[in-house]
Amino acid sequence: MSKWYGDFQVLKDITEEIKQGQTVVVCGPSGSGKSTLLRCINGLEPFQEGEVIVDGVSVSDRATNLYKLRTEIGMVFQRFELYPHMTALQNITLAPMKARKKPKKEAEAKAMELLQRVGIPEKAHEYPANLSGGQQQRVAIARSLVMEPKIMMFDEPTSALDPEMIKEVLDVMIDLSKGGMTMIVVTHEMGFAREVSDEIIFMDEGIIVERGTDISFFQNPKNPRTREFLDKILI
Amino acid sequence: MDWAVIPRNLNFLLGGLVLTFELAAFSLAGGFLLGMLMGFGRLSSRKWIYYPATLYVNFFRSLPLILVIFWFYFMVPFIIGRPLGDFLSAIVAFIAFEAAYFAEIFRAGIQSIPQGQVMAGYSTGLGYYATMRNIVLPQALRNMVPPIVTQCVIIFQDTSLAYVIGLKEFLRRTSLVDARELRSMELYLFAGFVYLVFCSIGTIASRRLEKRQVQIRR
Repeated sequence: MSKWYGDFQVLKDITEEIKQGQTVVVCGPSGSGKSTLLRCINGLEPFQEGEVIVDGVSVSDRATNLYKLRTEIGMVFQRFELYPHMTALQNITLAPMKARKKPKKEAEAKAMELLQRVGIPEKAHEYPANLSGGQQQRVAIARSLVMEPKIMMFDEPTSALDPEMIKEVLDVMIDLSKGGMTMIVVTHEMGFAREVSDEIIFMDEGIIVERGTDISFFQNPKNPRTREFLDKILI
Repeated sequence: MDWAVIPRNLNFLLGGLVLTFELAAFSLAGGFLLGMLMGFGRLSSRKWIYYPATLYVNFFRSLPLILVIFWFYFMVPFIIGRPLGDFLSAIVAFIAFEAAYFAEIFRAGIQSIPQGQVMAGYSTGLGYYATMRNIVLPQALRNMVPPIVTQCVIIFQDTSLAYVIGLKEFLRRTSLVDARELRSMELYLFAGFVYLVFCSIGTIASRRLEKRQVQIRR
């Protein structure tokens, strides 16, 4: 698929296939279009050319119920984007109650289960302002997981975190990946990529420059641009 | 200085205050509701809603209120064929005028909520209305309270402009008493004092509310 902002082409013939259960890591410099790509996948951004098909459903088809589709695609943002006027529990139960009309008790039970899973059940009634960045991001992950999506997308989930909180979030993500979730992760955390990714994509200026499926990607990238980028971010 | 002029005419003067408060209350209610509609219109992506709403807001924000009061007083009877009376035309003028200001307060309030939260809402499958009702509006309305309270204080002060079409609100009654008693200094000082007291209450309330905003935000 391809996308333009006015005259500027931000995504150029991006072609990719992701199978169920795979974890794909997307890396690249700022402005390469990685975040835009994610937002095109769940229809938050329109695109002009090509097709995006999620589990058989075409995103750009007019007949597609985007709201329903989005319940199948979870998204975690760099700035967490929790609702500040609601507690952690309420943040998580909002979508099940309003989008799926689940009764409160059921939604809360599931939410508590997920808070347990991400490691912070005791913070259920805290407001985001009282949570650390790492905790907020874990609540955000739970908020997406509660809709039982088929795919989870992460847009630089740890980029806005203090170093000591990165691990707690990555641990949750590694856990998810090993549990069989289909994931697309935009990140610069190469340790994470090395551990769980089935494929790594390097994007630059709107195109997929190189793909790799194992450690050789890091040690011996074929494309000079990839090499240049990895030199900058790997120690 | 003969301060006795005030208790002597207090009933008459306070009767004017009743009118002042009535005018302010109607203007506030009507301006708020119409302003909310205009505010949402200003946020609409549908051009046939956006342009009229924007035109309305820019138009009334470019005119002095006193002129708008005159216009409605002279033009509305011309259009509907019969006189409207000073109180009614004042209300209509105020509502039309204040709606433009409330529209901007609404628009700014809603736009002050970071788009990221809206995206987060959409990404969990919530639609436009659910996102507005549960995520944007609760926060936006809370943010709007200080500017709304400020606008109330301004409306209260502006009611004195209805003086020019003869409405017997508080300030006009003050001037009527003055014409009879010739105690301008005492009367106008008293009038100023009354406005001061009520506006101060409003300003203090607004400041308290702002402080509470900051506490909730962190």
